[in-house]
Amino acid sequence: MPDTPSASEPTPPSPPAASAGDWAYAPAKDHGLSELERARSYKREAGLISTIGHQCWWAGVRTYLRLYHRLQVIGAEHFPKEPPFILVANHSSHLDAMVLAAPLPMRLRDRIFPVAAADVFFENAPVTLFASLMLNALPMHRANRGRHALKELRERLVGEPCAFILFPEGARSRTGEMLPVKSGIGMIVAESAVPVVPCWLEGCFEAMRPNQKLPRPRKIRMHIGPAERFAGTPNTRDGWDHIAKTLESRIRSLRPG
Amino acid sequence: MPTLASTTLPPMFGFDGSLDDPGVRLLLMVISGLLAAAVLIVGALAASGRVGPEMRSELTKRTLAWAVMAPLVGLPILLGKLPTVLMVTIIGLLCYREFARATGLFRDKTMSALVAVGIVLFNFAALDHWFGLWQALSPLSLIVIAACAILRDQPKGYIQRVGLGVFSVLLFGACLSHLSYFANEPTYRAPLLLLIIAMGMNDVFAFCTGKLIGGPKLRPNTSPGKTISGALGAIALTTTLAVVLGSRVFSGELAALPHLIVMGMLVSIAGILGDLTVSSVKRDVGIKDMGNVIPGHGGVLDRVNSLLLAAPAIFHYVMYFRGLGEGQPTRIFSRLFLG
Repeated sequence: MPDTPSASEPTPPSPPAASAGDWAYAPAKDHGLSELERARSYKREAGLISTIGHQCWWAGVRTYLRLYHRLQVIGAEHFPKEPPFILVANHSSHLDAMVLAAPLPMRLRDRIFPVAAADVFFENAPVTLFASLMLNALPMHRANRGRHALKELRERLVGEPCAFILFPEGARSRTGEMLPVKSGIGMIVAESAVPVVPCWLEGCFEAMRPNQKLPRPRKIRMHIGPAERFAGTPNTRDGWDHIAKTLESRIRSLRPG
Repeated sequence: MPTLASTTLPPMFGFDGSLDDPGVRLLLMVISGLLAAAVLIVGALAASGRVGPEMRSELTKRTLAWAVMAPLVGLPILLGKLPTVLMVTIIGLLCYREFARATGLFRDKTMSALVAVGIVLFNFAALDHWFGLWQALSPLSLIVIAACAILRDQPKGYIQRVGLGVFSVLLFGACLSHLSYFANEPTYRAPLLLLIIAMGMNDVFAFCTGKLIGGPKLRPNTSPGKTISGALGAIALTTTLAVVLGSRVFSGELAALPHLIVMGMLVSIAGILGDLTVSSVKRDVGIKDMGNVIPGHGGVLDRVNSLLLAAPAIFHYVMYFRGLGEGQPTRIFSRLFLG
């Protein structure tokens, strides 16, 4: 199985300069890439300009959600204090990623990566720069490079460590009903102690449906459940399916009413 | 209350009759001639088939890059003081960005912000023609950087952070802003263009004589490509160039032959040392190029490395023997706000 990421393959040890705490003398991991390659790279490291971009964007989003959608967070105590962790939720609106990332602390901003569809957010240059400089998104390739993308995501998650926001359905629901969870999430977390926090987003679909250009001022509620860990789940197809089923039921169980 | 009316300010923008200066006209012709010669030589080498396809594409890339860089740098200088200072500021910030990403200093966002502000302030002081502030900024930036680096309460790595921060602000702020400060002399255009031509040709001379003669390496661990013969050839040829062109560009005392020879050697030697300084940084962190902005050359820092040390060296030589910006209005902007 040469192209399957498996846990028997040891993840490379993280370079010493990964976090500010043990600051050391090492070039950026994305050194030598052009601006666009860097924006699309899983090894991207934020500099001063991107940090300012992330802070401004997310401060703006936070204010907007609070005022326009009266965002209410239920179960915030389930948020892990430090990375690594993954937030997973139902996906039916472009607002979803904004809602999930906005309540997280500002100091973690450079280490929180919404995982976004590569064919939407990393195709043309202006959108790619927006996704990297403002959103701090990482690309998820849905077609042929999916396996590779999941392996890169897994390495970054524990290497840095960082936090991911991702939608395990693999697509936006057009009806508002949750789609079945795909097994890809399993390839990232199987046999790792990284907590996966299930969330249910209520009101995002009503506020901004997939066919809508502008959001409506609907109330949005975010329901957060206790974290799941899959350290004991084998990194095999059966294990991935088990993780997908577990998370799907955990997310659905948070749905009110 | 004084206002920012254009009549009270010395000209900041505009050709300002710069093309009437025979020195400027001569240097513009030299630049065009050199570019044309480069195109012809590369074309001839390619046609003769004496160079491999790899070398040919490398030479073509480099020549094209020169053809783009020449107007990018030359035009702001012709356009006046404000565009010149803006260009130098942008180059300084780009250099810092590459340096910070190469050394890892970019992970310390506070330090990066301080260095960026420092680079802008050095160039503002030059634009403002405020010699006192310009001089004070070196110790002041050391104080601010050393003090702000305490705030994190993380003594581990303190020397590295402060050392790299001060090194960057001095190289890309203090040193490079000497180019900006030149613009306080009304006849700055020709000397500045000459300095940049000499800098570019210094590298070309070193490359060519080194390739032709060969021989022992200059500093093999720092930069395996450079030979002693290349360095000596560059010093001899750059000095000759400075003498030939300098006698038409400089007036008064500095146009004398001894001065021109010393200035030519100064620019050449400082240029080689600046190049080796950046090479040492790259070797230390284990990378080949500082970036890939300029095809065939690498990063911005790989291109302007020879100016880092040469700009202050030549500036203070001119300052000592002739003076710079004397009789020109000082503290042009700051006086309006600070009184």
